[in-house]
Amino acid sequence: MASANSEIPAFDSGELKELKQKLVAGCHILDREGITDSFGHVSIRVPGTEAFLTIAGVSPGCATLDRLIMLDLEGHYLGGDKSSPYEWPIHALIMRARPEVMSVAHTHSRWSALFSVIRGGLRPIHMYAKFLPAGGPPIYPAAGLIGTFERGEALAATLKDANAVLLRAHGDAVVGTSLEQTIQRTIQLAFLGQLAHMAVAHGEPLYMSQDELAIFSSDPAFPARPWEYYLSRIRERHSA
Amino acid sequence: MASGKKDVPKIDSSELKELTDKLMTACHILDHEGVTDGYGHISVRVPGADAFVTIANVSPGCVTRDRLIMQDLDGNYLDGAKTPPNEWPIHSCILRARPEIVSVAHTHSKWSTIFSVLPIKLKPMHHYGKFLSADGPPVYQGVGLVRTVERGNDLAAALGNQPAVLMRAHGDAVVGESVEQVIERTTRLAMLGEWNHLAMLHGEPKYLTAEELEAYNADQRFPMRGWEYYVSRLEEKR
Repeated sequence: MASANSEIPAFDSGELKELKQKLVAGCHILDREGITDSFGHVSIRVPGTEAFLTIAGVSPGCATLDRLIMLDLEGHYLGGDKSSPYEWPIHALIMRARPEVMSVAHTHSRWSALFSVIRGGLRPIHMYAKFLPAGGPPIYPAAGLIGTFERGEALAATLKDANAVLLRAHGDAVVGTSLEQTIQRTIQLAFLGQLAHMAVAHGEPLYMSQDELAIFSSDPAFPARPWEYYLSRIRERHSA
Repeated sequence: MASGKKDVPKIDSSELKELTDKLMTACHILDHEGVTDGYGHISVRVPGADAFVTIANVSPGCVTRDRLIMQDLDGNYLDGAKTPPNEWPIHSCILRARPEIVSVAHTHSKWSTIFSVLPIKLKPMHHYGKFLSADGPPVYQGVGLVRTVERGNDLAAALGNQPAVLMRAHGDAVVGESVEQVIERTTRLAMLGEWNHLAMLHGEPKYLTAEELEAYNADQRFPMRGWEYYVSRLEEKR
């Protein structure tokens, strides 16, 4: 850990500039797409290190380059704005448990909040769910914000090797091997929740089986295309 | 009371500028967030006085500095525009009954209205409801606008020591120790109403228990973050 951290670039180094810009864009996208409100945060791992960047106690929609913070996976301050998000353990403990995860998003998405408190879970009825199990994401059942190491570990244990976890009466945490993938999955999770909700008004929908999801998963992915699209939508807002 | 009045600053005084600016911003936020429509009002207590400032019979989304009014807790006109809101007793009677309260919002929020007439209660199913009791806000059953001190006192009695009260077939009244807190609570109450409504399609949700709400209340709070966010959304619109 110590040796890995010694290679972490300085917070203000040019090396991190692109990561920071991507992080801010990811936050603005979640706000623009109606997923986050005044709360929520996104993180991005500093490649090859045990450190990550996230937003420093600010609403995702209000994030700027000077309101970012760098922490290590134990929550130690490494640079930037001094106000860690209260729930930094969501990011630190998931990244610690899942070395392949490069980015984590935590939101209070209404659809995740809804499916976290009803029976049956958020079961897939659309191919966008190909990153989810057929039973839907696992649900972290405990009350209380993820403000401690122990709660972060319990959340990571509930997530296990899935790509998303619902937090009961709270929201969700979504992971990906890139920030773009995490943002796309977070938005798709909300879309899936809305669809599943609407469908239930008509009776029990035809949920997708694990085998059917696997067919979609085996098709090639287009990770860059929605990112470009979402970016175009925040530019629209910024230039309006 | 008379001695309290002597100390009341003028509505246009620099002393009240920050508070009245905040009040107008708060009205615009509730409008922008879709909580108020042509009706509704917010009040703020004049610090250290038995008086409050509210909006003078204008829609929250249309409020401007020259359409603010100051009244005392008996409803007497003190300063500003001369047209008190019809339901000024909502503010005066609650501010009188609850000395710790600094601000009161009254809205016709669709979500409060729905849950004011249903047999089920608007109970916390998300930690945004941590300011409420596990049983949800009480419901004021009286019919008719709250235009008299008697009705205002009835409403304040229904509110009791709670942070919010639903008003049957009418809307809600939400209180807080700052304007920011009232805005946060009023928007949250609407979100909770919407989410409770969504949940009902799926059967009874797993509500948060009083103990679980306590666990959330023991966590750190960020009262200002919501305010900054809502203000940023207003600026975007401008």
